[in-house]
Amino acid sequence: MDEKEGIRITKENIDFRRLLMETPGAEKLMRCYQCGVCTADCPVAMRVKEFRPRRIARLAALGQRDRLLGGDTVWLCAGCYTCYERCPEQVRVSEIISALRKLALKEGIIHPTYKALMVSIAEMGYIYEINDFQNEMREDEDLPPAPEPDIDEIESIMRKTGFLDLVEGG
Amino acid sequence: MRYAFFVGCTTLARLWGYEVSARKVADHLGVELVDMPGSGCCGTTYLETLDHKTALAIAARNICIAEEMGLDIVAVCNGCTEVLTKANKELKEDPALRADVNEVLKDFGKEFKGTVEVKHFVKMLKEDIGLEKIGSEVNRPLKGLRVGVHYGCHMLKPSDVMMYDDPEVPTSLDELVNATGAQSVAYPNKLECCAGPIMGVREDVTWSVGLEKVENVKKYADIMVTACPFCYLTYERCQLIQETSPNLPIVHYPQLLGLALGISYDELGFEMNKIDTSRLQEFVEEYRGANLNDKTD
Repeated sequence: MDEKEGIRITKENIDFRRLLMETPGAEKLMRCYQCGVCTADCPVAMRVKEFRPRRIARLAALGQRDRLLGGDTVWLCAGCYTCYERCPEQVRVSEIISALRKLALKEGIIHPTYKALMVSIAEMGYIYEINDFQNEMREDEDLPPAPEPDIDEIESIMRKTGFLDLVEGG
Repeated sequence: MRYAFFVGCTTLARLWGYEVSARKVADHLGVELVDMPGSGCCGTTYLETLDHKTALAIAARNICIAEEMGLDIVAVCNGCTEVLTKANKELKEDPALRADVNEVLKDFGKEFKGTVEVKHFVKMLKEDIGLEKIGSEVNRPLKGLRVGVHYGCHMLKPSDVMMYDDPEVPTSLDELVNATGAQSVAYPNKLECCAGPIMGVREDVTWSVGLEKVENVKKYADIMVTACPFCYLTYERCQLIQETSPNLPIVHYPQLLGLALGISYDELGFEMNKIDTSRLQEFVEEYRGANLNDKTD
């Protein structure tokens, strides 16, 4: 993010903010008064200087699509809900970030790790593969075979909502 | 007491010590855990952030299976518990959303009805069995063992969804540890996230977050106890990858409880913990030895 470059609000920015605020979880975006408790208590922000939850809220309020969706910013949230719990205005940056990920995906943007995880769910019914090897090991431990997920059903659900097409196209 | 048992993929695929000990402990306490045929991915906290309806439908299909069984769900993973609890709550409270998701599910002969509850295994122990009953079943109290408890975020948060314990000052898992005779100790940044979920984006951050907690716990405790496979893996792997020494043993809560209940060390899947836990074995053997001496005196 280039700090020297000023922010000029365009119609595109206003439209992006409107789209964001229509996404469930991001409705209270404009209540943010930049107190910074989100950044102060964020376990990722403590170690990654380019991840600033307070700045994400500000950039979102200014509709700065390019700054928010370029790079790894929105994919660095660990989803610990510390900011969700402590936000005095229930803005909840974790939910703003979720909403931003949803908008990113609609534009075909998804982090490669997230893409791989979603493809795994569609192909194996789980994130982790559970095959004969795992089941033999389970048997050795006196564990019953793992439940066999209905993979066709899971893939079809992901296809029917249009989600899997977006993921594959991303 | 019977529950539909939602194990979750991380535990099913690799953390058999957690599953074995959870099943043994449940059996010992008279809880029947019934497997869920056809169940699959919980929906994941990742998918939740990407597409609301798909995440709900993937979670709901599992809940539908439990509804068919007529049983409440018990899960051992914080992530699965959070995802299933959230979906269950949203679909029960919002008829329009439920209709939307049921429209997706109807092709597969499933319908979310909203007739069951979802809870974490440790919540089941605390609320349905109770500390008193657990305490009365302990026949090998782990006196003198100092434990650093790690709750893991999604057992408690988001608190308006999980409705369990205090998200800022939780005590439930500490109480369950203390019920075994061991002592849960205070340590700095106890509630900090394991950062496991960003392993695939910034692995270095996950290992740094993990090691910091391990070092904090080491100063005050003999072992760390977790109740989430994801957190467990993070604290185990961060030590193995960075080759720390001495290592801090990471133990699944049901393994600890199992020892206190008198279940033998060999039956609790400790050989699958990748960081040596033999000091726990020595600990219970010393206790048995001391007890035998008491009897001969």
